[in-house]
Amino acid sequence: MDPSRIRNFSIIAHIDHGKSTLADRLIQMTGTLTEREMKAQVLDSMDLERERGITIKAQSIRLLYKAKDGHEYQLNLIDTPGHVDFSYEVSRSLAACEGALLVVDASQGVEAQTLANTYLALEHDLEVIPVLNKIDLPAAEPDRVKEQIESSIGLDSSDALMISAKSGLGVDTVLEAIVARVPPPKGDPNAPTRALLFDSWYDIYRGVILLVRVFDGVLRKGMKVQLMSTKKTYEIEGLGYRTPNHIPSDELRAGEVGWVVANIKEVADAKVGDTLTDAAKPASNALPGFEVTKPMVFAGLYPVETHAHGQLREALGKLQLNDSSLSYEPESSVALGFGFRCGFLGLLHLEIVQERLEREFDLQLITTAPGVRYIIHLTDGTEVEVNNPSRWPETQIVDSIEEPVFDVTILTQGEYLGGILKLLEDKRGKQKKFEYVAGERVMLVYEVPLSEIVLDFYDRLKTLSRGYASADYHFSGYWKSPMVKLDILVAGEPVDALSLIIHKDQANERGKQLIAKFKKLIPRQMFEVALQAAIGNKIVARDNISAMKKNVIAKCYGGDISRKRKLLDKQRAGKRRMKRVGRVDIPQEAFLAVLSVGDDD
Amino acid sequence: MYGVYISFPFCRQKCTYCNFASGVFTAELQSAYLLALHEEILVSEKPTFDTLYLGGGTPSLLSASELAALVVALENQSIREFTVEAAPGDLTREKAEAWAKIGVNRVSFGVQSFNQKVAGSSGRKHTAATVVEEVTLLRSAGIDRINVDLIAGLAWQTPETWAAEFEWIERLALRHVSVYMLESDDDSRLGAELRKGGSRYGASAVPAEEQIADSYLYAVERLRGLGIHRYEISNFASLGHESVHNRKYWTLQPYVGFGADAHSFDGARRWSNFAEPAEYVGRMKAGQTTRATDEVIDDGRRTEDLLMTGLRTREGVTLPIASLSKFENRIATLKGLGWLEQPAPDRLRLTDTGVMYSNEALEQLIF
Repeated sequence: MDPSRIRNFSIIAHIDHGKSTLADRLIQMTGTLTEREMKAQVLDSMDLERERGITIKAQSIRLLYKAKDGHEYQLNLIDTPGHVDFSYEVSRSLAACEGALLVVDASQGVEAQTLANTYLALEHDLEVIPVLNKIDLPAAEPDRVKEQIESSIGLDSSDALMISAKSGLGVDTVLEAIVARVPPPKGDPNAPTRALLFDSWYDIYRGVILLVRVFDGVLRKGMKVQLMSTKKTYEIEGLGYRTPNHIPSDELRAGEVGWVVANIKEVADAKVGDTLTDAAKPASNALPGFEVTKPMVFAGLYPVETHAHGQLREALGKLQLNDSSLSYEPESSVALGFGFRCGFLGLLHLEIVQERLEREFDLQLITTAPGVRYIIHLTDGTEVEVNNPSRWPETQIVDSIEEPVFDVTILTQGEYLGGILKLLEDKRGKQKKFEYVAGERVMLVYEVPLSEIVLDFYDRLKTLSRGYASADYHFSGYWKSPMVKLDILVAGEPVDALSLIIHKDQANERGKQLIAKFKKLIPRQMFEVALQAAIGNKIVARDNISAMKKNVIAKCYGGDISRKRKLLDKQRAGKRRMKRVGRVDIPQEAFLAVLSVGDDD
Repeated sequence: MYGVYISFPFCRQKCTYCNFASGVFTAELQSAYLLALHEEILVSEKPTFDTLYLGGGTPSLLSASELAALVVALENQSIREFTVEAAPGDLTREKAEAWAKIGVNRVSFGVQSFNQKVAGSSGRKHTAATVVEEVTLLRSAGIDRINVDLIAGLAWQTPETWAAEFEWIERLALRHVSVYMLESDDDSRLGAELRKGGSRYGASAVPAEEQIADSYLYAVERLRGLGIHRYEISNFASLGHESVHNRKYWTLQPYVGFGADAHSFDGARRWSNFAEPAEYVGRMKAGQTTRATDEVIDDGRRTEDLLMTGLRTREGVTLPIASLSKFENRIATLKGLGWLEQPAPDRLRLTDTGVMYSNEALEQLIF
């Protein structure tokens, strides 16, 4: 199609502000899918995505729209992942567009995540069209929300669209605005081919499927193409566009968006952000912005049943086929046996992987407390990266330690400010910005070490603000910090899976809290159990779990022997769910205790 | 010889510690239940039996004529031991005399505590005076085999209030006492509250595990001083005053149960009725089976069951040496811990320490 009739756009919205509903309406109103083919939230195809109402993978859908000017337009909706863990993927999806709809719930207002993605869109010179959704709700305050958009983003919202995606009200104005306000793609159809790869996934029948946006030139079936970061060449076996059904076509021309299948075996070879070019006539420069994403958050995943180790390995392998940002390597723990040290983009990514492993592969897992990657400068001048407390070097050979730091942006009502500032201070945050936004709301930007964010930052922020504050974070760099390894000893034995890396100044206090927590979580045993927290050889906290004095079922009533049997069965099963370290049975919760210390004390 | 158990799971109030399917239901359900129960007894094949136990719930809520009707339905003339469970406060002279006339010769009082504050916090409204009065009523009606239940571990219990319980046992010259330790499981309100660390139902005033264990040990000693000896983990009696019916459960004698949540065992099978009274009634009305479970007890299972129940008793369990050989290593381990003793090659018995850890011991032995 003539590029002047193409519009490539994405939708930016906070969770639950109506992105998927609006997308569904656009698909319906353009007749892209028949009623029978429509299921609510077409875009989110994974069960998990649909359940949580978030998008994990990017998508693209071509809509054909006959505008009021009488012409037919090709509108490519590029749906971006909705979470900050995937901000690089978001940036690549946005780079594939010329415009974006900023969808804001007219009763809720702008949230931190929306803000971050809108800034990102503006950085990529996208035309951003404000859309106020749920305008028909009694609590809608369009004027206040418009003012918020103007003051927090600096975006003129006098011509914001007023819609209700749910009822369909005003959705036609959205389609017209896309045609009128989103610029058509530029790009040279005759220049050497350059196509941006903005997502890829593995399909068991066709191998890796790429989603691309062609910037220059053309992609054709049978053409030899090259991925510019790896220099590997492939032959295009098929290509086309999505409705979201895969519709084959002969070519994808400059400005168009579609799918490509080229006999690529692994998603790891098809990295998001890479440029696809003509192998016979390669472009001189790749499209800008390509980065290799690195996991930021690490945790040990262990099967509860030791014999499930092989199953876990297989499952991780299968997930990685579709998720190259997931990394894993074998790890063994004295306490937990054989497992894997896994790397994730962020906490949500960790949760998703964990949930998919349990749900889709029927595995029961113990996850150790999440940690981050430290850069450690040793006294001999060398440098090591450590993402696992068990690899932490001896204090004597450590010269200095750097830890990853994120810029955290928080939007909150003024009334919760006191608690949030205290939280940021507890979390070793440094203020970068403090700004009132549209009167009653405050925008905070802090630098906070990632190790503090992964512990319980979000839960505490949500509790403090009763769910009203929203936060977003982005990697900003490394800080030098005096970190130490805190070991936990149970009955005199260090339990490696309970060790954690922590700032020196917090170690004693955290040690005490953890010991108190373990005392609650570890059931009494037949003997007294000593609990100790130690840094190196120095014990910083200790307590004892006294021996069990009794374990009797006093009643055996009415001849109900099966009740007694069930109770003993349950007792037995309870022990099986625990991990025996030395002579002590430790329940799974204890391995995550560090995530919730300080909650109830 | 068989024992018969009749279940009456209705109460005036649900005690906080109660982890059974008993409770407070509507009067309509209660009368429908009685009809269903009567019907179940009538249509069942009735074995010859010599003990009858009416448990609950609170069977003392039944009128004398309702109780009589159930007994008549059983068509049995020679009952050696006929126990009715009672909550203090339900008895009158008329009821006591009527019970005696029907053949009741043993009453088990769910006292739990003679201390008003301790009993009250668990949902019991009685005072010590009520118990004294009703014991007297029963005795003058000719029912002199009387048991009192006590629970170690109720809220507000102290070593002093616990010691005082036994003053009452002594004063009333009782010959049978049951002492239970509070169970904290999710099936009772108090248990669930304790497990989640809350403070409702007096959970924050529940004594620590050490105190509960000490209270139990105190009871064992104190009762022994009164000539009331432990003959099962939670049952204590003077010689000759042991419960004949309950002993059947511990020695795998056959028994048959009627009513909701009643359990039966005929030597080869165990079965049980649906636990919820409404479900039981509904099924009776619809002519459907009331059995919720039914399983065959093979030799292996029989041995395990015998260990689970027999080890609760003073004399322990006697088994063919051949069937013990499978447990040889485990028996050795438990003997090593000082929990188990083997007075004869075919006999096993828990030691005093073993009794305190009987769940652990049984789990290690059987599972």
